[in-house]
Amino acid sequence: MTGRAGRGTGRLALALEPWVYLSPALVMLGLVMFVPLVVGFTYAFQDIRLLNPLAGGWVGLKNFETLAGDKNFRVALVNTVWWTVGSVALQFLFGLGLAMLLNRAFWGKRLVQAVVFLPWAVPTFLSGLTFAWLLNPVIGPVPHWLFAMGILEEPYNILGNPDLAMWGPIAANVWFGVPFFAITLLAALQAIPSEMYESAAIDGATAWQGFVQVTLPYLAPMIAITVLLRTIWIANFADLIIVMTNGGPANATQILPSYIFTTAYRKLDFGYASAIAMALLLLLFLYAVLLHQMRKVFRSTA
Amino acid sequence: MRKLTLAATVALLTGAGGASAQTLSLVEVITSPPRTEQLRAMVDQFEAANPGVTVEITSLPWGQAFERLATMVQGGQTPDVVEMPDRWLSLYANAGQLVDLTPFLAEWDGTAELTDATKSFGSVISGQTHMIPYGFYLRAMFWNKKLFAEAGLDRAPETLQEFYDFSAKIAELDGKYGYCLRGGPGATNGYIMMMLNFLGENKYFNEDGTSTLDDPKAIEGLQFIVDMYQNGLVPRDSVNWGFNEIVAGFYSGTCAMLDQDPDALIAIKERMPAEDFAVAPMPLGPAGKSFPTIGYAGWSIFEASEHKDVAFDLIAHLSSREMNLEWSKFVGVIPIHVGAEQDPFFTGPNFEGWFVEINDDRWEPTSMPTYLEEFGYFADVVSIQGGQEALLGQRTAEEVATEWADYLTPAQQKWLAAQ
Repeated sequence: MTGRAGRGTGRLALALEPWVYLSPALVMLGLVMFVPLVVGFTYAFQDIRLLNPLAGGWVGLKNFETLAGDKNFRVALVNTVWWTVGSVALQFLFGLGLAMLLNRAFWGKRLVQAVVFLPWAVPTFLSGLTFAWLLNPVIGPVPHWLFAMGILEEPYNILGNPDLAMWGPIAANVWFGVPFFAITLLAALQAIPSEMYESAAIDGATAWQGFVQVTLPYLAPMIAITVLLRTIWIANFADLIIVMTNGGPANATQILPSYIFTTAYRKLDFGYASAIAMALLLLLFLYAVLLHQMRKVFRSTA
Repeated sequence: MRKLTLAATVALLTGAGGASAQTLSLVEVITSPPRTEQLRAMVDQFEAANPGVTVEITSLPWGQAFERLATMVQGGQTPDVVEMPDRWLSLYANAGQLVDLTPFLAEWDGTAELTDATKSFGSVISGQTHMIPYGFYLRAMFWNKKLFAEAGLDRAPETLQEFYDFSAKIAELDGKYGYCLRGGPGATNGYIMMMLNFLGENKYFNEDGTSTLDDPKAIEGLQFIVDMYQNGLVPRDSVNWGFNEIVAGFYSGTCAMLDQDPDALIAIKERMPAEDFAVAPMPLGPAGKSFPTIGYAGWSIFEASEHKDVAFDLIAHLSSREMNLEWSKFVGVIPIHVGAEQDPFFTGPNFEGWFVEINDDRWEPTSMPTYLEEFGYFADVVSIQGGQEALLGQRTAEEVATEWADYLTPAQQKWLAAQ
């Protein structure tokens, strides 16, 4: 008898209830993700210098016009693709191999597992410095080994050669990132029911056929998600490059994040740095959409 | 930082203990653990002489110091006293962030004992002083006597022609090179010195503010370094070398000559017997002159400080003759007081090169245009990338030198207009 009004507010309250429970999380998300994103976005259309906040103001698309004609930006863009594809591909291949090796019982497996996952725990700054010194012929052994194997014509530091320099940070990154792929893929491997391999064996499948027909399809969702995540992380990951080459020699290892860092903290041009960051964001967004579509297609055909 | 505010609050609350209870914050930007320890010991003496004053030292690693300090200042956590390197001085002084020390210096009895250079280098805006330097870094040429002897040489080069010829001779030895070239972080000084040496003048800009770096003679100077690199007189890797690598290259005997400041002496002395090397003045250019770069750092007070008087007492203490001598011996800089070079520590043969440069007219210490706000980016990025492109033959010396001049000219003209 309290009537419709009472039931109406009750229904509204019911509809609102989940949002009330969610609100702390939503507010937090908005504060830590959305606000900085919007602020960064607005920076791209302004002239902002760190120690002189009053200088400049709104400049429209000027930063993006500069970007279009910026030779260093194009170099960094190509390097970013090269750095990301090289690192992810090698990390994935070695990670998969490692996961397959660890996915069987052998003596001392726990110890081996622990050791294999260690690089992931080493601070990147430290691994970057260590690799830089390993590649230095005055102190490190690697150039002398490469020379002895006939790969280098003399024992020099590949970080000083613009054609080879990118391999230094990539090598460090592969060493650092293999455990991540190994851990995630190992978990997925262990979830494959052994009956599948047994029935494949009964049907007369070879080891290679077992891998292609059973292992890979089961791993595919995990592979897609880890590759997606790692690609975005690595494309944004400038620590090793900053430590090992600082983008040099002559921009040969400059990637977009290190270029953004240099522009923001060396040139103190936050507006332009934000414009480059927007370009990188757009690129990664397009990549994520592409991968998402590929997964859809893959699923519908499977 | 929270610790700092906490300490300040505690100091405020317990203010009853003494009306003068104050906490000063000091930021050290060129940090190493023993250096912090040395600074701490000097600051402890100040605390002992000034009961009620506490000094908190925050040490930033040099590699990240610039952005960390800038972020601190932006975030309102401005320290009272800061160790200020020459190249940031103009940026902070022009932004009105630093206290003008002129009235304080006028009353301080230590002012009269400072060398002229000390007084003039602390000022980037005419009529004002924003820093008391604590010492000078001056370039001189370290040379490896053993390697020289192996190549049949018995003295350091006196001219750039000899520098080139001696380097070529040493490079004939297997796996040895003449010169530890710095092509990576910090390479700017080397290029600039060589360009001035060929130019024959201690001049970066003409009257109208146009840069002299694209003068044909200056380009020749850059070409000289490019030739040394491309003709194999310096290690191939040196295109990427920073401070650690050139010093390691020198003490490991890979390259026989190294131009460095007195602070490199500390690292080299630890790893090389003192009789195996010596320090000569920088080689003279075609005009019979040489322009070794001089760098400096010092103490500044932030305008935001609430304890400016005590803060000045602290930097006056650090700049006193006794403290400064101790500090400059430790850090490896030329001290700031008149007559300080008479100290027995500085009269040894390892210091000879630097004092020849100071006392002989043919050497004119040059200070790079660090008063330009744009210079930090030039030194950290523009000159490094351009220099590497020239060394690697991707661009000609002329193209690179023109780019540098085109970058510096508007900066200088903007600065001139503001004066």
